[in-house]
Amino acid sequence: MTTTDHDRAKTSTRSNVGPEIQYEIEQFLYDEADLLDRWQYDEWLTLMAPDIHYWMPTRTNRLRRQQHLETAGPAAAAFFDETFEHLQQRVRRLGTGLAWSEDPPSRTRHLITNVRVRSAAIDGQYDVECSFFLYRTRLEREMDMFVGRRTDVIRRAANAYGWQVAKRTILLDQSTLLAKNLSVFL
Amino acid sequence: MAGINVSGLVDTERGFINPSIYHDQAIYAAEQEFVFARCWLFLAHETMLPKAGDFIQTYMGEDPVLVVRQRDGSIKAFLNQCRHRGMRICRADLGNSKAFTCTYHGWTYSTAGDLISVPHEDDAYFNEIDKSQWRPAAVRIANYKGFVFGTWDAHAPEFTDYLGDMAWYFDAFVDRWAGGAEVIEGAHRWLIDCNWKFAAEQFASDSYHAEISHASAYLAYVAPGDGLTQDQLVANRKKGGYQFAAPQGHGTGFRTSPQPKRVGPVVQDWEASVLPEIVDRLGEPRALYMPGHATIFPSLAYLSNGTFRVFHPRGPAQIEVWAWGLVQKDAPEKVKDERRVEILRTFSPGGLFEQDDGENWNEIQKVLRGWQARQRPLSIQMGLGHWAGDAAGFPGRTAYVFAEEAARSFYQRWSEHIAGTSWERLAELDAAYAEASGANGQAVRQPEGQSS
Repeated sequence: MTTTDHDRAKTSTRSNVGPEIQYEIEQFLYDEADLLDRWQYDEWLTLMAPDIHYWMPTRTNRLRRQQHLETAGPAAAAFFDETFEHLQQRVRRLGTGLAWSEDPPSRTRHLITNVRVRSAAIDGQYDVECSFFLYRTRLEREMDMFVGRRTDVIRRAANAYGWQVAKRTILLDQSTLLAKNLSVFL
Repeated sequence: MAGINVSGLVDTERGFINPSIYHDQAIYAAEQEFVFARCWLFLAHETMLPKAGDFIQTYMGEDPVLVVRQRDGSIKAFLNQCRHRGMRICRADLGNSKAFTCTYHGWTYSTAGDLISVPHEDDAYFNEIDKSQWRPAAVRIANYKGFVFGTWDAHAPEFTDYLGDMAWYFDAFVDRWAGGAEVIEGAHRWLIDCNWKFAAEQFASDSYHAEISHASAYLAYVAPGDGLTQDQLVANRKKGGYQFAAPQGHGTGFRTSPQPKRVGPVVQDWEASVLPEIVDRLGEPRALYMPGHATIFPSLAYLSNGTFRVFHPRGPAQIEVWAWGLVQKDAPEKVKDERRVEILRTFSPGGLFEQDDGENWNEIQKVLRGWQARQRPLSIQMGLGHWAGDAAGFPGRTAYVFAEEAARSFYQRWSEHIAGTSWERLAELDAAYAEASGANGQAVRQPEGQSS
């Protein structure tokens, strides 16, 4: 049985790595955020592992006794449920010059905080949780705020950054998406 | 029933729409009363409520309703409002419950919506309250092949009469598989700052926008090595198809040429394997070309890949889109799952196609704040007069796939509703429309090489 977000909420996720690994991974997350905020999507893709699963489940309002069902499971509706090829396809769309929802492009700022790093069973791989605040403005006065938690698996990689994201679960703190689209990466 | 004065709003003979219909607050108020409080609205699919006590909360216009599976297997719905002081009875989106207790003073309602318990009934009410008189407004229900619709209006026609000829087209969606359909767990819900009619009309009547609005998505789906160029895709899309328009305001459109696949070989092989049965039961046109895109008036829309959604109005300038996915019940799990992913990657708020629709509707709505922007009519003239009745095996009035015939019938019926037209009069208008369709239409012209 998969761990639900409700279970995870009750479990400590404090960091258990030394300051060097903590620092390296934090810097990696900031680099990643920076690439997105500079619209460097092709470069951003090099930080995604070829076997990545990039997933953002939907959420519902539940009675407390049914709160364990609040976050949708893997077979249910999700906002993103992506392989590497899927992410590539999204980047390809943005590059067509015809992707009107991002033309003119969004201005985004990805704020990454509350980073917690735990060693995983596999050498060179870490379970990383962080909070994110994605602030977006577009056109004259559109503004959206996406806040939530990311749960990543991050592993050593032979790229310029030394790391790749092997798995990402994005838990947005909204039930109804309070925006007209998700044309950005989180 | 007194509606509002609709003169100058919609002229379907000339193909004019007054832009105020998307902006005006008084028109919006009339829609709540004369469209959303009396038309048949989609509430739930029965597979969303498998067990007794299962409930979902949804909306009929701006009114919250609870839709509940009863112990006898039936489905009931009632206004989610406590009759005592108007509090929302249940604040969960969905769940399972034996009863619903208002958390203000504790009035408790059964799953059928009957008031069953009032705190301090003896000492405070002196046992004088007649609980049978204090139940929330009940919704009249119709279960059409698993799709549950509701209306507040006891005088509304039977649901199948409300569908009219659209039933034949709708069946290509709701009755596609011999073993039935089920809804993928969960929903996409999001906000678009636009009038609900932009969305509803587009799904009824607008194949025209796709190759411009969704150009980037089509291009992105041309995977390296699949041998299909964008030029070929566009060329295919120009090769014929039909639009159907119903006097009841429904509409649909579909292509008669193969469309690009967005699923892998596992789903393609499975769908090919079940196709002969569908051809036997529904016939070739419905099996091969439909569902296409469609709207059941006023606000239920669906597409070929199984996405279906309701546009809940939230003032003249905002909607909540609630979208689900429909899959074949007895398909293998991996087929259902790939379809689930395809739906969310194309027609959810992050979907490669959906994103650009919201952009259009939202920007139109912003422009309509301007006074000048509302002084000249918008155009729904495409294909005016070019339609046929009961032609090429398609019931009702059909036009070329690029047409605004369904937009005209959508707005015509919309204006008749908000004018307060009686159901009896609407039935007469439906009959007149059918007669005109059969008698006067010009044959639908298809591009060369395509039969019409």
